Amino acid sequence: MPANGTNSEPYILFELAGTTYGVRSQVVQQMEMIEHITPVPNAPDFVEGVVFLRGQVIPAINLRRRFGFPKIPYDLRTRLIVVRTGGRTVGLIVDSAREFVPLDPATIQPPPEGVAGLSGHYLAGIATLGERLVLILDPDAVIGQEAGLTSPA
Amino acid sequence: MSTIESADEAFLASFLEDYYAECDEHLAAIRRGLLVLESSLGQGQLDQNVVEEVFRGFHSLKGLSGMVGVKPAEQLAHHAESYLRLLRRKEIALNADALEAVIAATRLLEQVIAAWRRGEPLPDFAEMLARLSDLTASKAPAAAPPPPPPPAAAAAPAPAAEAPLAEEESRRLVAAFQMGKQAWQITFTPSRDLAQRGINVNTIRSRLQEQGELIRAAPIITPEGGISFAFLWATDADPSVLAQWAEDGIRYAPHLAVPAAAPAAAEVAAPAAAAVPAEAAAPAEVAAPAEAAIPGEAAAPTAGAGAVAPPGPSPEPAPPPITVSRPAAAALPTIVVRVDLARLDDLMQMVGELVISRARLEDNLRQMEPIAATIPQWHTLQETNLAMERQLRDLREGVMRLRLVPIGEAFERMQFAVRDLARDSGKSVALSLSGQTTEIDKYVVERMLDPLMHLVRNAVSHGLETPAERVAAGKPPQGRLALRAATAGDAVVIEIEDDGRGMDAGQIAARARAAGLIAADAELDMAGLLDVICAPGFSTRDEADLASGRGVGMTVVRDTVQELGGTLALWTEPGRGTRFTIELPLTLAIVDALIVSAGGQTFAMPQPAVREVLEVQPTALMAIENNELIAHRGGVLPVIRLARLFNLPDEPGRALYLLVIGAGLNAIGVAVNRILGQREIVVRAVTDPLVRVPGIAGATELGDGRVVLILDAQALARLHRETVGRGRP
Repeated sequence: MPANGTNSEPYILFELAGTTYGVRSQVVQQMEMIEHITPVPNAPDFVEGVVFLRGQVIPAINLRRRFGFPKIPYDLRTRLIVVRTGGRTVGLIVDSAREFVPLDPATIQPPPEGVAGLSGHYLAGIATLGERLVLILDPDAVIGQEAGLTSPA
Repeated sequence: MSTIESADEAFLASFLEDYYAECDEHLAAIRRGLLVLESSLGQGQLDQNVVEEVFRGFHSLKGLSGMVGVKPAEQLAHHAESYLRLLRRKEIALNADALEAVIAATRLLEQVIAAWRRGEPLPDFAEMLARLSDLTASKAPAAAPPPPPPPAAAAAPAPAAEAPLAEEESRRLVAAFQMGKQAWQITFTPSRDLAQRGINVNTIRSRLQEQGELIRAAPIITPEGGISFAFLWATDADPSVLAQWAEDGIRYAPHLAVPAAAPAAAEVAAPAAAAVPAEAAAPAEVAAPAEAAIPGEAAAPTAGAGAVAPPGPSPEPAPPPITVSRPAAAALPTIVVRVDLARLDDLMQMVGELVISRARLEDNLRQMEPIAATIPQWHTLQETNLAMERQLRDLREGVMRLRLVPIGEAFERMQFAVRDLARDSGKSVALSLSGQTTEIDKYVVERMLDPLMHLVRNAVSHGLETPAERVAAGKPPQGRLALRAATAGDAVVIEIEDDGRGMDAGQIAARARAAGLIAADAELDMAGLLDVICAPGFSTRDEADLASGRGVGMTVVRDTVQELGGTLALWTEPGRGTRFTIELPLTLAIVDALIVSAGGQTFAMPQPAVREVLEVQPTALMAIENNELIAHRGGVLPVIRLARLFNLPDEPGRALYLLVIGAGLNAIGVAVNRILGQREIVVRAVTDPLVRVPGIAGATELGDGRVVLILDAQALARLHRETVGRGRP
């Protein structure tokens, strides 16, 4: 199953609005099915609410809303991918997530300018997996680690 | 990574954790001692105990740092120790400059260790070393760098094993002798090589326990500054066994029942100690095993100065009257256990879950009541439930108390900072501390260190005027800064007060208006003033002022206080001074709460914040401009609808329940749709910026895995003020 590349890093692939994305499994703490999410009043639109995981209350971002796609109802395949980066733990709601693949960072191209529909802002790059195109997520950008969005820790 | 390497790393890693913890303790003791010495400058006699304590602190730091290889810390501590040694021997007198140097060195030591721990580049310390050397250079022989550790074969009984025996220990020693055993002083010095072979203090311990009785075990700092472990071991094993262990970092010597003549004996090799029995009147007491049985021990008493009992076991069966000298006048250490804060957190979590379970039990009981009330055991069941509630409360408090530390520790750290700051800014500050014994949760105090430091710095840098300015204003030249702490019921109140120039509300308001933070015609009261200075990006000084707040500082202070569930208040008067009052809950985690529903969503409101609950009909509400009011106790009470505030669907027509929060003129009624019940909840922090919204203080879980948000009464009141101010419903 693992590739022979010595520089491969494991990635978790997920689907969102028909596109395959990848995120480094190193930042993924766990993956859950969606149970109850408590809405948080006056939170940003793409923040679905909070969930209780491992004794911690963490926010859940609806990635469709984050990327500007319309929301769809949850089903059995919807997943919450819990990422941990920059000292924060945040859950990402995606349509489905199942695959673990090793990717060689050398095969990841930088995101092209003006990728339609998505601010390349949230992407760290684009990889090819066989014939598939996998958009590599930048988890820090997705959860908003830029200055101004976070208060000093 | 091979298993040997990882085991090695793990060994070293846990060693390092202990090292940092020990450094903290020693540094705290040194700081305390130095401050005492400073206050006794020029007042005659120095307290020898204090000098001793500071000396020992540096000595220990030197040894510990040497052991784990933090050379810069070792050197700094060594140089400071040398000065202290001279002071201790009264070969020099204490003067202000020297003390200043030692204080600076202590601070540098802290920084070096902290930087080492974080893997950051170390501050430059060469200059400090030179400065410290100068202190000792002109005096009695300058302390030479520590001599290289003696070769493993040399024997020197560990000093600690020579220390007087505690009563329990000597009893066991006597018992051992009665059973025909011999007593040995064993010294084990760990090293990387030994660790690689799997030999560490624990393996040695087990080995000793298997083959005899371990009467005493203690870590010691050797004269060379390294760490070893000293054991007092009684056994009837053949002494040749010990010889075999020489390869394992073990040195040994017979333990003599008669205590060594003087502490100096610790540094004297075994022959001198063995010579004692020759003078002692009762050689029969001595269970000195055959020196001849210790091959290869160069310094061992092979001379067998006359009092050698025949080789092998069995001294006289008659119980020897062992004389035990009591420990020296130094204070007996209290028995403390050092516990990882994480373990206390786990414990708290378990207690929290117990609380939730019991609350659910109570819910179930309540539901059962209609049918179960007739069952004979019903009363007992209820009583048991009540008893459990009481016991859980006690358990909760007990666990919470484990985490309490005196706030004095935090205050002491600020003393140092105040000294420096005052000096650097040319001000004269009289710092008074009170309530240092006030206990506060360890986690809370750790989080509050930076905010408190910030407030203190602000007070010295901005609040207090220079002596000249003060005199011109008719004040005494020395500024006063007070740090106070006290418990008030369920909370700890901390005050930071200065008698300086106070804040100019008008000037701050002007800045705030210019920055668009407040409306053009808004007046600022104390609360408003606090809001403004805590607003992100606000600052009354230029960026060049590095000593304190740049708009980031006060924001963090308030955020931290709020995150800990506390409140921050300000009092200031131009020309008279400023006082910050911080109130922090003692009980971090568990509160009684009203569970309510508004806009279809469940929320929890901490009970202590609620003064009353009223049921009102919507028709009783009066609408005036954009506010809603209700007649209440002869006056009017502003009402804010939670559902509307939170943009949730309102349920018009239904009766409303008002949770009255705040007091007097600040009271408001928070309108909710339903009161679902009342229960204890475990408070969890909601820290991620994405979900930090005004009006929400945290979250809890009622036992079904669903998160319920906890309302922030203070913030709701403030939100109301703001929305009223801006004319929004």
